[in-house]
Amino acid sequence: MAPHKDTMFRSADMSLTQLYIANEIGREVVSALGELGVMDFRDLNAETSAFQRTFTQEIRRLDNVERQLRYFHSQMEKAGIPIRSIYDFNNPFTSPSASEIDELADKCQSLENRISSLNESYETLKRREVELTEWRWVLREAGGFFDRARGQTEEIRHSLDNDDAPLLQDIEHHGQGEGAADRSFSVMNIGFVAGVIPRERIAAFERILWRTLRGNLYMNQSEIPEPIINPENNEQISKNVFIIFAHGKEIIAKIRKISESLGADLYSVDENSELRRDQIREVNTRLSDLASVLRNTKSTLDAELTAIGRNLAPWMVIIKKEKATYQTLNRFSYDHQRKTLIAEAWAPTNSLGLIKSTLSDVNDRAGLSVPTIVNQIKTTKTPPTYFKTNRFTLGFQTIIDAYGTIKYREVNPALPAIVTFPFMFAVMFGDAGHGTILLLAAVAMIYYERKLERKKLDELFGMIFYGRYIVLMMGIFSIYTGLIYCDAFSLELPFFKSMWKWDNDGKGPTASRVDGYTYPFGLDWRWHGTDNDLLFSNSYKMKLSILLGWAHMTFSLIWSLVNARYFKTPIDIWGNFVPGMIFFQSIFGYLAFSIVYKWVVDWQAAGQSPPSLLNMLIYMFLQPGTLEPGTQPLYRGQATVQVILLLMALVCVPILLFLKPFYLRYEHNKARALGYRGIGETSRVSALDNDEDEGRALNGGRESFGDDDDGIAMITQDIGHGEDHEEFEFGEIMIHQVIHTIEFCLNCVSHTASYLRLWALSLAHQRLSIVLWDMTMRIAFGFTGLTGAIIMTVIFYGWFVLTVFVLCIMEGTSAMLHSLRLHWVEAMSKHFMGDGVPFQPFSFKTLLEEDPVE
Amino acid sequence: MANGWAPFIGAIVVAVFCAAAWFLAPKGENQTIWRSTLVLSAVSMYLMWLITFLAQLHPLISPVRYDLRGEHGGASL
Repeated sequence: MAPHKDTMFRSADMSLTQLYIANEIGREVVSALGELGVMDFRDLNAETSAFQRTFTQEIRRLDNVERQLRYFHSQMEKAGIPIRSIYDFNNPFTSPSASEIDELADKCQSLENRISSLNESYETLKRREVELTEWRWVLREAGGFFDRARGQTEEIRHSLDNDDAPLLQDIEHHGQGEGAADRSFSVMNIGFVAGVIPRERIAAFERILWRTLRGNLYMNQSEIPEPIINPENNEQISKNVFIIFAHGKEIIAKIRKISESLGADLYSVDENSELRRDQIREVNTRLSDLASVLRNTKSTLDAELTAIGRNLAPWMVIIKKEKATYQTLNRFSYDHQRKTLIAEAWAPTNSLGLIKSTLSDVNDRAGLSVPTIVNQIKTTKTPPTYFKTNRFTLGFQTIIDAYGTIKYREVNPALPAIVTFPFMFAVMFGDAGHGTILLLAAVAMIYYERKLERKKLDELFGMIFYGRYIVLMMGIFSIYTGLIYCDAFSLELPFFKSMWKWDNDGKGPTASRVDGYTYPFGLDWRWHGTDNDLLFSNSYKMKLSILLGWAHMTFSLIWSLVNARYFKTPIDIWGNFVPGMIFFQSIFGYLAFSIVYKWVVDWQAAGQSPPSLLNMLIYMFLQPGTLEPGTQPLYRGQATVQVILLLMALVCVPILLFLKPFYLRYEHNKARALGYRGIGETSRVSALDNDEDEGRALNGGRESFGDDDDGIAMITQDIGHGEDHEEFEFGEIMIHQVIHTIEFCLNCVSHTASYLRLWALSLAHQRLSIVLWDMTMRIAFGFTGLTGAIIMTVIFYGWFVLTVFVLCIMEGTSAMLHSLRLHWVEAMSKHFMGDGVPFQPFSFKTLLEEDPVE
Repeated sequence: MANGWAPFIGAIVVAVFCAAAWFLAPKGENQTIWRSTLVLSAVSMYLMWLITFLAQLHPLISPVRYDLRGEHGGASL
């Protein structure tokens, strides 16, 4: 079969292919296909768990390498060493051979050992340094305590001898008993514990000590002014030095235990000041030795990491690809006797040639005599939906896909949405000035596309950047609608001669029309700033919304005809499209006609007052055959025409309700009578398939669409193809059709009303920009001279910032959301089937896009 | 009234543009996108212009403004 060109109008034609690959080149074949990225491999081992699959061992090994690479990465981040960006490599995407992967794995292993041993020694050294620093602080601070305490030994002694003496009397009676200054603590059997403890624990520490020792201690502490850095996690902790004096060995032991359990580090301090001085000196020399060793270790580590950093990014890419390759290989089934791998994959029919040539290339390179066989299988399975997108269409396609996956070969709503989506936006956003801002922003984003793509963008800007081509179209159309509305930053655009002339030599207040002249393009600028400007623009914009809505919905409804013709389901044409179209046109088409007709007739020349269209529509339904009393008819025979239209609409309702279900039942019964049953089941060919499983998986994946809806859609589709392997249930079809009919008829009304949002939003946008102008720039124009210039500059910036943030970004977002709703609900409900399966090809490119290596 | 012909002239212009867009769209895999985008843009822009034009063809109300001062008062901001 000759495949025709794939376009955006319908999803690409897909074929289910079967590959027979020699076991030896399995990895090379899959990695070559991964570079192509056009095959969606089906899982042929769905029933086996991840651990039972063929290539689990390899994946586990690669996981380990990946972990090592991540470890290098985290080490580099910790040390602040930059990684050479992936974009600096010319072609990091060449697929390596298996031996190169082995080499890389070994290399990573040895590098990891080296780095971790370096790290370990660095950390040990660092810990030693911290300990020494703390010790130095203890020595320094404790020295102070000792000097103070020595003067008070007598005091302490006194308190020990006399049970009544208060423990803390020494504080009050400072400086007594100096004569006993040289008496050592040891003589008094007073021991002490000195150490360092984190500051936030000090309160708890004191409380516990006080309670357990019942106050039999003397504690002194002071804060270390600089924070201590914990080498394990690089956190800064502020600590306190403490020294506790107590009486008796057991108590001292208890204190030691308590302090250790609370995370304090204890250091030995000599009470002799000479010895203490020696200790400090010794600590200092050791510290300086340590610092030089540390510096050396650090520089070795940094050099090692820098060397890795030069190649880390391509390694990561290689390993990621390799892992994905094996994960895909795990989806294949393995024929032990013939030593071949068998794979099933969906691929665009147009790419089959490319796939075949790639496969034969791989074969040639490997020098294998057994060719890789590509088979096309006929199947009744639903092929996945695939659209080839480019930079321009991607955003629009994403908008539609966000609503639902398009059915295979159904009309793609994204194609018309390229125009209608930004156009509906522009109808609401119509202002040439704001449109220009959007356009410039979009052009800038497109111009710096390459640069911006590589940067990490924050969420909001990332979203705008993703939709830069949508913004471009929005900008263009907003300028156009702005010109039509005659608005630029809420000011008028007097391009042509006005059709109005002020009466009384330009003094007004009324205006009269220049004879036989209509303003040629857009709204007449004379309406700007008039007292009845809203009266006119409301009537105009309301009718504009109705007419555009009618046009958009008719356009969308026609796609359902195109779909029915394509899927060869004539019953959808006669049972859904035709009655629906007649119903819609006889009411809302007539409304649109009346609006235009009323505009075209020159009522003043005829000397008549025109009838109100709203009342006309109300009377058309409430009292068919009569017009609003006391008004002129729109045209002759209006009442009769309206009765006929109403009858046509009414007749369409039962047709819409019953024709399709009864026709389907008739078809089914006829087929049954002829003895056909379940043709579909026999036409399944796929050799390695578990049909039941597949069916269940598909249904499970589509639950969000509503179950009964799905079932029916499948039945109708299947009957169209003459494959009836679904139970036929008349009741279900009937219920579905009743729901569809009620929904359609009510939606005709509510959706038409829904398009009035075009009017409301455009009105709000215009009013808001007028208010902004009046409150800022208009005031600024009132000043003159130097003050005027300064005020003008300040106010201009204020006005501009508000214009960009409030009018362009905020209002733009709201208009965008409303336009989105008009497409998802009002337009797509008319034709969208949307029960497709998304195409998820095995592609290195998407893999790296989803999980980028920077 | 010569003005009444403007919509028809516009329609012809748009039809010609659409035909040109259809046949002159760059060949290749993006031909469909070019065609649909150009034709739809032309039609929707024409529709918008047409509606605006028709709304002012026989206006039922005329502008009223009380803050005018004279010959060129209309231009005051």
